[in-house]
Amino acid sequence: MSWNKPLPNVDADNQPFWEGLRRHEFLVFRCKRCGRSYWPVAYCRACPPEPFYGNMEWVPASGRGRIFAFNVHRFAFHPGFADELPYVYALIELAEGPMYGTNVVGCEPAEVRIGMPVEVVYRDVTPDGDAAPFTLADVRPVAG
Amino acid sequence: MTHAFSGKYAIAGMAFLAGRFPGKTARTLEVEAVRLAIEDAGLRREDVDAAINTRIESGSGESRGWTDSYARILGLPAKTYFTVQRGGIMTHLAILAATQLLELGIATYVAVGYGATDWSDTRGAGERRQRHRERDGLWGRPHGDLAAASHHSFFASRHMHEFGTTSDQLGMVAVSHRRWACLNPRAQMYGRPLTLDDYRASPFFVEPYRKLDLCLQSDSGAAFVITTMERARSLRRPPIGVLGLGLGEAMRELWWEKRNYTNLAVATAKESAFGQAGLTLADVDVAELYDCFTTEVVLQVEDYGWCAKGEGGPFVASGAIAPGGSIPVNTGGGLLSGYYMADWTPFVEAVTQLRGDGGERQAKDAEVAIVSGHGGEILRPGMCSTHGTLLLGRDA
Ligand SMILES: [Zn+2]
Repeated sequence: MSWNKPLPNVDADNQPFWEGLRRHEFLVFRCKRCGRSYWPVAYCRACPPEPFYGNMEWVPASGRGRIFAFNVHRFAFHPGFADELPYVYALIELAEGPMYGTNVVGCEPAEVRIGMPVEVVYRDVTPDGDAAPFTLADVRPVAG
Repeated sequence: MTHAFSGKYAIAGMAFLAGRFPGKTARTLEVEAVRLAIEDAGLRREDVDAAINTRIESGSGESRGWTDSYARILGLPAKTYFTVQRGGIMTHLAILAATQLLELGIATYVAVGYGATDWSDTRGAGERRQRHRERDGLWGRPHGDLAAASHHSFFASRHMHEFGTTSDQLGMVAVSHRRWACLNPRAQMYGRPLTLDDYRASPFFVEPYRKLDLCLQSDSGAAFVITTMERARSLRRPPIGVLGLGLGEAMRELWWEKRNYTNLAVATAKESAFGQAGLTLADVDVAELYDCFTTEVVLQVEDYGWCAKGEGGPFVASGAIAPGGSIPVNTGGGLLSGYYMADWTPFVEAVTQLRGDGGERQAKDAEVAIVSGHGGEILRPGMCSTHGTLLLGRDA
């Protein structure tokens, strides 16, 4: 699809996450010692930090979570979103603990509720021009 | 028991310009505000030997590149010039730095300035477009998290969910601020009264936020001169003492801690500031609170303790923060109805009130004022992390 919206900013710290999305895997940054999950990059708060995140690793998460907070955009701050209005932007509490902000798709804005169970759905994007293809992780309602 | 810092330093001069200044650069607005603040103090520019510039964010638009300083343009004999920058706690951090320059004897009169062209930058898109546009390097842009309202509205979403706060209660924040603005001839919304019905008719922007839940855009310049209380007493204007200063950060905890969406990082900031000053909330006569959106006011009346957590909605709806209420909040109209200068808006209004210059909106016997600052997002999507508490007081 052509893409007239902002591109994700991929840097060395978040590149594994974006590569995971290309494979349709939703990754979290997990502590090798205790298994606590983080997103984005952070040292485990419960374990001693080893050099350059040595005690942490990117691993696939369940891709499940619940709506923690949400809004309905009825104004396009960027012209690329003008045709999307109204769109739902939500904070998802992942099953592994961290929150993730994304769009809720697959239902009407009026149907979105806090606490609603959701799962990740992948949106592959091939922008025009020089930009590399990327994948976004939206969420859709799922049976609880 | 007050800290030795409390009351030792004072705001000696203050000035601001706010509204619409097409054709003026942010740099020039800052220069003019500093010039006026020096004049307000009854000083000459030769007296100012240190200069601090404040910015809400680390360089976007015009300020990305400009390194020229108001100190050079004005011809101040400043031994040092530097920028402090973090979200909406500019005046708090500038006072922290400036008082240390004074404490160490590096400087005797420190100027602090700010300039912005937010209204001119966005005038093509309507008055309530948000200046604060997210730049590269942040997480939510491809999903449409593009402005402060995109994620700040999560505070409202959570407060409504957890405590039953209503749109009408947020509307009463907007109405209260407008009532104050209608008493402030310098406010952008002066002469434009607002009713709750007007609020209800305001279109949703980022639901649950309507247009009227969002702050204004302004071109602005603001400045103050700070020195020791001892020196300030011999100057032109009544000195306004720095009684206490505190800071807080939500990022001390995991950013997804649920309470971070219904509380601001007030606790440590409040404890430090009130501890230094030896004061309690009951001593505060005027509250100038950072009101980027309506919900931030609801959170702060709870977090500071004017009402219990969760009761902010009914509290603001009761008229408690409006003219004639139990605690005057944002007496100049705030960011919502006065002018947008981030934490400079509450700062200049606190100084105005403590000097007794509030005119029709003057709070009675205003001796102690609180200036809160808020902002400094930690990541997208997320919440603002930083909070500042500044207590100012009339010279005893
Ligand atoms: Zn761990």
